[in-house]
Amino acid sequence: MQINIKYRPTFALAEVQLQPGEMVRAESGAMVSMSSHVQVSTDATMGGKGGLLGMLKRATLGGESFFTNRFTAAGAPGEVTLAPTLAGDMVVHELTADHALFIQGSSFVACQDGISLDTKFQGMKGFFSGENLFFLKATGDGPVVLNAFGGIETLDLDGELVVDTGHVVAFTSGLDYTVTKASKGWIDSFLSGEGLVLNFSGRGRLWLQSRNPGAYGKTVGALLPARKE
Amino acid sequence: MRHEILGSPDFTSARITFEQAGESCVAESGAMVARSGGIQMKTAMRGGLLAAAKRKMLGGESLFQNTFTATAAGQELLLAPAPEGDLQSRILQPNEPFFLQSGAYVAHMGDALNIDTSWGGAKGFFSGMGLFLLKIVGPGTVLYGSYGAIHAVEVDGSYICDTDHIVGFTSGLTYNITKFGGFKSLFLSGEGLVCHFSGRGTLLLQTRNPPSLANFLERYRRVEKSSSND
Repeated sequence: MQINIKYRPTFALAEVQLQPGEMVRAESGAMVSMSSHVQVSTDATMGGKGGLLGMLKRATLGGESFFTNRFTAAGAPGEVTLAPTLAGDMVVHELTADHALFIQGSSFVACQDGISLDTKFQGMKGFFSGENLFFLKATGDGPVVLNAFGGIETLDLDGELVVDTGHVVAFTSGLDYTVTKASKGWIDSFLSGEGLVLNFSGRGRLWLQSRNPGAYGKTVGALLPARKE
Repeated sequence: MRHEILGSPDFTSARITFEQAGESCVAESGAMVARSGGIQMKTAMRGGLLAAAKRKMLGGESLFQNTFTATAAGQELLLAPAPEGDLQSRILQPNEPFFLQSGAYVAHMGDALNIDTSWGGAKGFFSGMGLFLLKIVGPGTVLYGSYGAIHAVEVDGSYICDTDHIVGFTSGLTYNITKFGGFKSLFLSGEGLVCHFSGRGTLLLQTRNPPSLANFLERYRRVEKSSSND
């Protein structure tokens, strides 16, 4: 499997070249185009766990729909091109067995089939954060494609870093995090515009996005006509 | 008349320079950024009321187009599409057809260039999936824009793409609209319908699509209760 990221950094497109029989798994809705002999199946089992219930859990976690499609090059080499919804960059991370990758839900684009994606690990942390924050845990061997809203910043951290929840793309398993308010009091947190932050500590790699999808949505959404309910 | 593409690929615009008086360029309403003082603008429903109404209904384009005519040499016109992204031009030979998704059309030059909405428009319209195509036949130059970058695929045989990502394609390609994956995929995959191209030619794709963005923003709209107390 070979993955090229084209049209960086603003409107990145991932071009995935598959050898016969190879399979790539991508976030539903990411497919731009593909060879006509590539076979598609909607993933309902998610790494062998869950079945229908697991699928519903994934769909409702953090209000995000999270389904993946599997693309298989049947009989001959084939290609699939993938893109996220918002403008921005993409990167490929080579995942290996010595670490896991935690991916913020809307930053996942694709991975080599065989990599296991799990949403269960986070327990209540994701729900308490209240900001549609949910992480996928990816483990295994092979490439993982991530997308950012805006530019992508890669940091090799050894120590501590405080990050706004809306700017996290992914991080490796050497890092631990807690979710807290940005300031001491709720009022300060509210007034500062920095609601919740992730406090990272440890040693590992961290990817940040230069724009915040939630902040963008609120800016534009406030100008749209109201939805009747 | 000559043109230059500026700022490609993220925030692209086009500068058209008229070399003689009397030269003209037709652009989608709203595409003008700026023009020199010696350019006259005339707004018209091209092809008359019926043709314009048909274009509006089937093509989703504006009812009106503006014709910019130079009254002297050296006049300049700046054009840009609505979304952020690329803008490209294509020079068409006499009788050479080119197909554009109607929202991608920005402008054209050449009085003999023919824009036909009747061709593929109906196919897209009746399939109910919002693919409205313009058939453009040379001679002339057409300018088209995209949301995101433009990714060109040389198709020889067959190829599949998401309908919302189509910018246009050259003659030699035909298409069918099909379901994506099986029954389950149609509801769960997030990709409902796709275009299945066959033949030999160039397919132009945009790396982002406006419906997905609209869908993202939908969640952030304010909610108004429909029942009120007064």
